[in-house]
Amino acid sequence: MKYRKFIMPLAVTLGLTAVGAASAQTLTMGVRGGPESMDPHFSALGPHAEAAKHIFDTLVWSGTDLQIEPGLAESWAPVDEDTWEFKLRQGVKFHDGSNFDAEDVKFSIERIPVVTGPTTTAIYVRRVAGVDVIDSHTLHIHTDGRAATLPNDFIRLFIVSSEAAAAYSTPETSAGGFNSGAATIGTGPYKYVSWEPKGDLVLARNDDYWRGKGAWETVIRKEIPNDSSRLAALKAGQVDVINYVSSVDYLALDRDANIDAVKGDSVYIMNLQLDQREDTPLVRAIDGSDLAENPLRDLKVRQAIDHAIDRQTMVDIVLEGLGKPANQMMPPGFFGSSEAIPMPAHDPAKAKALLADAGYPNGFEVDLYCTADRLPGDGAICQGLGQMLTQVGIKTNVNAISKTVYFPAQARLEYSMFMNGWGTLTGEASYTLGGLAHSNNPDVKLGAYNRIEYKNDDVDMLLQTGARMMDPDERRATYEQAMEKVMADKAYISLVQLQTVWGAKAGMLKFDPRFDEDTLAFFITPAN
Amino acid sequence: MLGFIIQRFLQAVVVMAVMTVIVFCGVYAIGNPIDIVIPPEATQDIRDEVIRRLGLDRPLYEQYFIFMSNLLQGDLGRSFVYNIPVLELIGGRLPATLELVLISVISATVLGVSLGIYAGYRPDSWLSKAIMAISVLGFSVPSFWVGLILILFFAVNLGWLPAGGRGDTVEIWGVAWSFPTLNGLSHIVLPAINLALFKLAMMIRLARAGTREIMLTDTIKFARAAGLSEGTILRRHLLKLISIPIITVFGLELGSTLAFAVVTETIFSWPGVGKLIIDSIGVLDRPVMVAYLVLVALVFVTINFVIDLVFAMIDPRLRQGATA
Repeated sequence: MKYRKFIMPLAVTLGLTAVGAASAQTLTMGVRGGPESMDPHFSALGPHAEAAKHIFDTLVWSGTDLQIEPGLAESWAPVDEDTWEFKLRQGVKFHDGSNFDAEDVKFSIERIPVVTGPTTTAIYVRRVAGVDVIDSHTLHIHTDGRAATLPNDFIRLFIVSSEAAAAYSTPETSAGGFNSGAATIGTGPYKYVSWEPKGDLVLARNDDYWRGKGAWETVIRKEIPNDSSRLAALKAGQVDVINYVSSVDYLALDRDANIDAVKGDSVYIMNLQLDQREDTPLVRAIDGSDLAENPLRDLKVRQAIDHAIDRQTMVDIVLEGLGKPANQMMPPGFFGSSEAIPMPAHDPAKAKALLADAGYPNGFEVDLYCTADRLPGDGAICQGLGQMLTQVGIKTNVNAISKTVYFPAQARLEYSMFMNGWGTLTGEASYTLGGLAHSNNPDVKLGAYNRIEYKNDDVDMLLQTGARMMDPDERRATYEQAMEKVMADKAYISLVQLQTVWGAKAGMLKFDPRFDEDTLAFFITPAN
Repeated sequence: MLGFIIQRFLQAVVVMAVMTVIVFCGVYAIGNPIDIVIPPEATQDIRDEVIRRLGLDRPLYEQYFIFMSNLLQGDLGRSFVYNIPVLELIGGRLPATLELVLISVISATVLGVSLGIYAGYRPDSWLSKAIMAISVLGFSVPSFWVGLILILFFAVNLGWLPAGGRGDTVEIWGVAWSFPTLNGLSHIVLPAINLALFKLAMMIRLARAGTREIMLTDTIKFARAAGLSEGTILRRHLLKLISIPIITVFGLELGSTLAFAVVTETIFSWPGVGKLIIDSIGVLDRPVMVAYLVLVALVFVTINFVIDLVFAMIDPRLRQGATA
């Protein structure tokens, strides 16, 4: 494309002169997903919380690496077995000039279960049994039993104004009140200007923000779900920064002098999950006959599967380099990730030997199910997986399907071998291991996402005691131990950790990629 | 005539009722929407509470009955995902789709019929051959690819037009339209071309085939013998005679484009209803799916009805048949 060389600089120059001074004060972000409502308590979806973080503050802040830091709460400490004391920040004002105090926190916590939608935010306050206001800036939060990770639960506890939102706190009135802006009064870095579902969210700077003044007078958050269109908007100069550049485009962007590509680690790890039930539906002998027992219950078979997988090839070929091999269900450095777990070696010969040893010298046949439209590369990883397993003798039929069909079927326990991503959004292990690795037991509220009926009594015990340990070091060691045991059992086989890419106009912006993949205007600054 | 209208109306009601049953059963068969939208930390109590609140704990026939009784009171329900009334959600996005679709379908028809008549009238000229070549391209090149190429060329490389989104709007009768503003028009151009290309090709082919056939009939011979000018023959006689299939296709295309301009809306980030329905299917937002498809059925039935009336207007034979 010969003309391109001449046209591009021209277009950029024109763009600069046309918008000139205004653009220096306006940040336009092209993002893949957006909020479902302006009510921050309506949905727990990632993009929803990301948008809400511009307008509202959370009680506890999660930093770039998901470490917990003071937010609207300056400090917190347990006062007894089932009570936490939170000290609030002084001198914080809402966008309407009113003062932030303990009543707003109590109001927000109590409002959540009432107004939440199906992607329920009730999870953030699920441990809360009661809230006592001690004084204007001190709260006691009572929990149902020991809740060591309560501060982690509060990283998405958005605080709304108890006065402004008072009239908009029923399921019928909340969307109207917040979408119109009447109740959209937060303490965050930006004030609400306008929003339409699936459209633009327009924000104006809050000059009195307690963290300091943001760099942009106006922020426009444009929802552009299609990956190619989002990139085109960046290249055409319609937006300044975009999230989720696809792996295919990333290769081209690296060579494009007009665009900076910023790569960041993601919390999402792809896990292969092997059904542990005695009778599993989608496994059979090579000739199609029934097997005497579920081969996936045999540790040797699971080890063989692990050795059959070439993680490095997955990263290099399937993900175009946008990922890292993974050996456990959380990224390294997270609370509860263990450094003692080795990276499994790719060894097809050993895999075949293990299969023969387990009594399957000719292998067996299995239907593999994966999501194909949820995370970057999930469908392609699924196909790669199918080939690698087939090579060692496990004839694998690959079904990479829509998440709309996958998750309900997975919940009905219809699959024998399946793969999807899991993001440790809280940055600590009770979230991930508690959901996946504990045996499914509603009485202790653990294991709700264990869809392979995995049960290891040691792991169950470690997770139950870990959840009650108030000492962080002790708790960390307990979760590390649990993680080691789970990964050694190989019912869950972690494959790769994903990475995400942001694109920005070259030399214009400065920002650190966040682990939770949020794109937050306040933390994006002009490069000079 | 009145009987005809009543018959059509009853037909519409049946179609829409069947539609609601299909969507209800279809969504039920896929699975519980809760499994897609609920976050991993949710405990069993929280999960049960959400299911109860959305009414998903009731048996399917009961959910259907509740929906239908609300519908008869004019309430199509609230979106699971946005928690706002479905009609408000669809209504807010309909103008965007409407203006895009009308502009593209009408311009495709006007241009396509003119070019098609020319190509049929002078089938051997080089221009006709060029027109037919373009129509083959319009048919065979997938529209998502054309859309991306349009963006790449006009927005990214040349920088003449925006790469996507809807431009500035003005309020007319309380509805936000973007076509009256220059900025709005500049945003419409590319998606409209993208949407129009296939229809243009189809209109060219229809008009050409019709013209070639009619030009050989006695009607044209007698008109020529009567000494009418070629221009008059084309306008007064030929156009009327080829218009029946063209109007039929115009109606169907208008309906299907209004309902399912998904690809173009996705590529150009156009905030229309096509995108809405796809997203709703993605999260099994049943109230939106049901309401939307009911409305689509209504649109199709209405368009077909209007087309029948138009036929009666332009073709005296059909008029006599309808009144008899």
